[in-house]
Order: sequence, then C-alpha cells, then structure tokens
Amino acid sequence: MSKFLSESWLVLAMGTIFALLLAGAQAAFGPRIAENRRAELERAARSVVPAEVGKLEEATVQVEKEEKTVFKCLGAGGELVGWALVDSGFGFQDKIKLVVGLSPDGGKVTGLQVVENVETPGLGNRIEEKEFSDRYKGLDATEGITVVKQGASKDRNEIQAITGATISSEAVTRIANSVLSKVRPKLDELR
Amino acid sequence: MADGNGNSAAAQFKAGLWSDNPVLVQLLGMCPTLAITNSVENALVMGAAATFVVICSNLVTSLLRSLIRPHVRILIFTLTIATFVTIADRFLAANLFEVSKKLGAFVPLIIVNCIIICRAEVCAIKSGLFKSFCDACGIGIGFTIALTILGVVRELLGSGSLYGIPVMPEGFDKWVIMVLPPGAFLTLGILIGVVNYARLRTSPGGAA
Repeated sequence: MSKFLSESWLVLAMGTIFALLLAGAQAAFGPRIAENRRAELERAARSVVPAEVGKLEEATVQVEKEEKTVFKCLGAGGELVGWALVDSGFGFQDKIKLVVGLSPDGGKVTGLQVVENVETPGLGNRIEEKEFSDRYKGLDATEGITVVKQGASKDRNEIQAITGATISSEAVTRIANSVLSKVRPKLDELR
Repeated sequence: MADGNGNSAAAQFKAGLWSDNPVLVQLLGMCPTLAITNSVENALVMGAAATFVVICSNLVTSLLRSLIRPHVRILIFTLTIATFVTIADRFLAANLFEVSKKLGAFVPLIIVNCIIICRAEVCAIKSGLFKSFCDACGIGIGFTIALTILGVVRELLGSGSLYGIPVMPEGFDKWVIMVLPPGAFLTLGILIGVVNYARLRTSPGGAA
C-alpha cells in the first residue's frame, strides 16, 4: 500500500485537482452552453416553418415511455402557423438531433433542420446544409419518406441522398419518419 | 529538434516560429492542419486553443518537473493536456458557439496533437518556468501562423472570402477543391516545400 502511494501520489493529487478545475469550468460555462443550444433549437424550429413565427410554445408528448418535445409555432396574432417536432436518433457515427416542420393540419412536411451531428466532415455532416434540408420541403407527412440515390421525385415522397453520405441521409430520413409517425397522431392533444 | 538544453528562452521562442515550426518543419499536428484550415476563422480559433493548451501544459509540467517520475510522465502529460483541452472546448462552446460547431471534434482532438505532448517531453520537463513559457508561446504562435497561412490561401481561393468577408470580385470562379481535403494537401505540400527551401538556403552550411 505504501509503495503504491509513493509511486502514484502525484497522479492521484493531480487527478483530484484537475477534476475540481473541470467542475469549475462546467459551473462557469455550462449555463451559457445550454443557452446556446436552446437558442439554436429555437432558431431551427422557426426555420422549418415557412410562415413568420411570432411565439414558440414548447410542449411535450408521451410516446412509448419517452417524452418528445414539440413546438407550437404561433403567428403574430396567436394563430397556429405550424409545428416543429424535435427528435434524435442514431446516424452513421453517433447521435443526430433534428427538427421537422409540419403544416398546421399536420399533413405536409414544411422543412427539416439537423441541429446536432458528428457525421464525417465534408460528407455526412452536409446533412446540416440548407441544400439537403430543402429536399424535405413539401413532402407528405402521412406517408413514409424514402431515400433514393438518383432521380428523386417529391411526388413519390422521395429525397435524394447526399453523394458519399448515403447512410447519414438515410439516418436523417429514418429519424424523421419515426418522429412523424409517432408524434403526428398526438398533435391533436396540443391544439 | 530544438530541446531544452543550452538554448536560451528567447532562442527557444524564435525556434518555434521558424526554424523548428511544428507544422512546416517538424511536420507534427498534420491532422487538424489539413482538416480545419478551410477558413481563416477556423484556423485562428484552433491556433488560439492549441496555444492556450500548450502554454498551460508546459507551465504545469515545468512547475512539477522535479516530482514527475519517468515511468508516469506520459500519463501525467496526457492528464494535464486533457484537462486544459476540455476547459478550452467548454469555453469555446459557451462563447464562440458557431465556430465551436464548425471545429467539431477537432478541438477535443487537440489532446492527441503530438505538438503539445512533444513540448512537454522535450522542453518543459527539463526547463525552468520562463523558458517553458517562451517555448510554448513560440510553438503556439508558429502553429497558428502555419494554420493561418493555409486558411488564408484556402478560403481566398476556395470561397472567395477572408474571415467570411467577400474579397474576390463578383465573377471569380471559386476553386472548390481548396475547401476540400485535396486542396489542403496540395497547399500544405507547396507551403512546406517553399518554407524548407528558404530555411535551408539561409541556414549556415545549408544542412537539414
């Protein structure tokens, strides 16, 4: 025991001090980081609804033991102009978090924005680009969205995968389909 | 490789900028250099973060150098570097959120950047506080300069802008390859060639 301590006391002491330093950093920066993430989520929620969104009302729906966040997007006069559904799931590398926009009647996808991802830089992480998001605009929210590599047609509810990022594109679609099928039926509770 | 023996603090500082530049001469830290230099802003922030870490790491290592036993030194270096990188990463996520998202995983990857652990092993473990500080500053600034040169070239030719501000005239046809990996390799290769040619021409005896 004393040999162990004499060999390792410095590592143990430094580990403790550094742990305290990191706790301090988390206390100092944590709140700002949470604020930044929140602001980004709200920006994304506004961007997936075509109309001018005045107020965002946050709500949760219960889906199979999980709580999903839903934003009610209200216009200037307080009327419902759209929904923004938040969900996350597994991508090629790790978690992908995204927001799907729905028309007020829940029938059409009005937009999609990926807010968090760690996909391959230059390839998979292009799912955050506007060009990819635009591919989801106007699709039918009641039917599943499919991914094709070429010749996508919105009439057939298809989106085109990003070249070299098929798995990431399919992951985004899978998450979108999942949140649409699970949360759409529950939107009436929130009207 | 310039080491902690014999050189003065000022010489150590200067070496990091030119004759022993970590990227262009020592050829270390290639991964972030190639990956994030597609814009000037990314390059500057990465350089600043790495400089902060190497300064803190060198200071801590130098402070404790008489206590660090040889067989635990790599462990202690890694522990120290990991702590300061995490602090830098959290700082960026709080204060420069957009850039932090663009840099992505490359800020945590500073932990495994050879440049930093190399300075601890080669200089800080055997030098006093002031010399270690100067060494860290020289290496950090040298790293940042190399990244920035690449960032300027790649952003100017690849996006027509500098630090996000459009600079090239309207009709300029962007060299998209410059913001992609091949452009990084090409630019870095040419830069290393030019810098080392100049360095060897001007050094006494012209020896490598």
